[in-house]
Amino acid sequence: MNDRPITGLYAQHPREEVVADMRARARRRLTGLPEGRLAALLEDTVYQERRRLERNGSPAERERIERLAQAVLRGAPEARLQAALDVVGAWSEEIHGHFSMPAYRFATSVFPPALDALLSSQLGTGSRGADRGQRITVDGPTALLRELAGEAALLLTPTHVSNLDSPIIGLALTMAGLPPFQYGAGLNLFSNPIVGWWMRRLGAYTVDRTKKAELYKEILKDYSVRQLRTRHHGLFFPGGTRSRSGLIEPRVKKGLLGTGLAAWQENLAAGRADPDVYVVPLTLSFQLTLEANTLIDDHLAEAGKQRYIISDDEFAQPRRVAAFVHRVLSLDAACVVRFGHPLDVLGNPVPVDPKERAEASRRRRGYVCDRAGQVEPDEQRDHLYTERLAHQLTVAWPTLATIMTSHLAAWVAWRLLQQRLGTRDPFRLVRAPLADRRFPVADVLDALATAARAARAGAEAGRWHVALPETPQELLDAALDTFSRYHRSRVIERVGADIVVGDPRLCLYYRNRAAFADLETP
Amino acid sequence: MKVGILGGGAWGQALARLVMAAGNEPLVGYRDHKPPHIIPSTDNPPIVSETCELLIVATSASLVREAIQLARPGPHNRVVVAGRGLDPVTSAWLTDAVLQEADVLRVGALAGPAPAQEILNGGLCAGVIASRFDDVRTLTIRALHSNRYRVYDTPDLVGVQLAGAMMPVLATLLGIAASLGGAGVGLHALVLTRGFAETMRLGAAIGADPVTFAGLAGMGDLVAAQARPGQPHYDAGVALARGDRSQEQPLAIARALLSLARMQRVDMPLLQGLVAVYGGLPAIDAVTQLMARDARAEHGG
Repeated sequence: MNDRPITGLYAQHPREEVVADMRARARRRLTGLPEGRLAALLEDTVYQERRRLERNGSPAERERIERLAQAVLRGAPEARLQAALDVVGAWSEEIHGHFSMPAYRFATSVFPPALDALLSSQLGTGSRGADRGQRITVDGPTALLRELAGEAALLLTPTHVSNLDSPIIGLALTMAGLPPFQYGAGLNLFSNPIVGWWMRRLGAYTVDRTKKAELYKEILKDYSVRQLRTRHHGLFFPGGTRSRSGLIEPRVKKGLLGTGLAAWQENLAAGRADPDVYVVPLTLSFQLTLEANTLIDDHLAEAGKQRYIISDDEFAQPRRVAAFVHRVLSLDAACVVRFGHPLDVLGNPVPVDPKERAEASRRRRGYVCDRAGQVEPDEQRDHLYTERLAHQLTVAWPTLATIMTSHLAAWVAWRLLQQRLGTRDPFRLVRAPLADRRFPVADVLDALATAARAARAGAEAGRWHVALPETPQELLDAALDTFSRYHRSRVIERVGADIVVGDPRLCLYYRNRAAFADLETP
Repeated sequence: MKVGILGGGAWGQALARLVMAAGNEPLVGYRDHKPPHIIPSTDNPPIVSETCELLIVATSASLVREAIQLARPGPHNRVVVAGRGLDPVTSAWLTDAVLQEADVLRVGALAGPAPAQEILNGGLCAGVIASRFDDVRTLTIRALHSNRYRVYDTPDLVGVQLAGAMMPVLATLLGIAASLGGAGVGLHALVLTRGFAETMRLGAAIGADPVTFAGLAGMGDLVAAQARPGQPHYDAGVALARGDRSQEQPLAIARALLSLARMQRVDMPLLQGLVAVYGGLPAIDAVTQLMARDARAEHGG
């Protein structure tokens, strides 16, 4: 398998070279700005960093920012630029990570078989002889993606459910025969000592979301552009953070998404023969979510902004992670990773046929080049092109999603709850008294039958996918079994002749996993 | 600068004159109507797309798709539709029809009160170019703005296309209102203002800027449509009031708009009334039904 993309980044471009290149890019960016914008950008950097450093930060960071503040105050252009570039250099060091070739080689040879073995160890516990291939299903145009990986930089853009997404995607890439992708990981993820240590050495680059300065965001984008320009496949979550509500992201952040377009234009300007960057949508569907409790609480508390970065959730507790992997990922069809059809950086589907692809690549240049073939810079145009790409991603994600037993059962239970209380207000529904949360099994089976028919009809029409047992009874049994495996409070459970919604908050979360689908009309 | 114009009819010729007045060189791609010799033209439309960055589509709404299929513009082209808002067959915005038919992304819409014959006779007027792309607006202004034709610009593409689609329908309704026995300026003003209210309601639902309807594409176009006798949509309304339903273009547009309004759950009683009149309801009965509706708040009701 071709492992050039990630190892090459470090082997061929040593750390010092990357940081020097980032400084040079920043110098070009800063010196190209009009005085007013430059001053505003640096003042914003000082302001935002001082605020951040009030809460945490090292003496060296404080010293650098105060040096920049002094230089901004005095206004001497060269001193100001140098102080800014010092900040940029430190940030670039942090972003670039601490890659270790031995750790990387060890991990890529040991992790997939280890996870395989962990999952296989469940074979004796009544899971009907499933193998890893049935528990983590990888689907999509993988042959086309393998072909494209050799001729363009790929930008993988998944939905974001859990902090386990990155390792699962890593495994899926191996299973699909695709090379590894370099990915940006939130600095908070490094708080898990084991995972953090590994991530640093596997090539994860660091994204510190506590840094609010505009300049930091620009440097991150520069890093992503550089990575794609040098033909290293990248991965980032366009939703920005894990979905709190359980919904598939209806909107995406366009900052990093636009780096594909920027890298392609830089390649065109440099006259490269293979300038293309392709964007690959990917949807992850899990039966259960490790951090569902924390995420839905955060959503309901409407504290998403304040707690944008959650560092004390289930992912920070190694025992919970181990229990989750042990009990949940060993389920049949526990997780489906589905790659979508690749798009170009403008949101158009990439042709499958190599000749058509080459022709499309040639014609595509017209969107940004003049008649002489020179790239015409136009930020506003690029913003609109990226908006189009973002829209295409939000259209593609639901079509790649899989409706699973847990999602459908929660959807049905929530619907019954809505009907009984005569409201769709989630805040009223999560506070429903226990007496209102009991439903006769027969009613639940009827509703499941109707919803399953609608789910299957949508799947047959190509609008989404399903992984559901045949009969409503099997579906209910499978959902009850799934929900009993991990969460302390039961999403739904059988009590005598009734099905009880044990935890309406979690019911809302799992219901939202299927909210993209119209399941009301059979 | 070379400016491509697709369509050799009166409107295409008028636009070509405006391009020349702005100091540019037009190239008209035509199929049936060859423009006079003074206007450079070709019966091979792909040449127009090849030669000119900016293409202005100057056909009727129902022929926009065909014009694009013939000219085959590509990624380097900016395509501006100078027609009436909606494709009457598919109910798609005309710029969406362009996006569906060709590998182009940079599109815009030109609207406003610019009667072709007046322009050809040297009259003065103005228009508005709407596009989300700055460079489409800039290129169109460079192509057309002169002391004969002022070009204003806006990023509100949806608003301008909605205004462009609504104005013929409102002009038809005004034609009906003016022709009913006993009707006076009161009914005229009522239809006009409530027609604008409907436009703004639908506009708000689809993300248009309400201010757009007070501009050239809205108010400007409607004033032009009723200012003098002989305006086709206004005359279609006059004919409808007499029971003559032969001019069906307003009906096609009204149906397309109503389908859009239903999707957005927006109430459009005037448009429904117009469709009912086309369906056989006497115009006076339609007005009686509209007047019998319950009282409501003037805005947001």
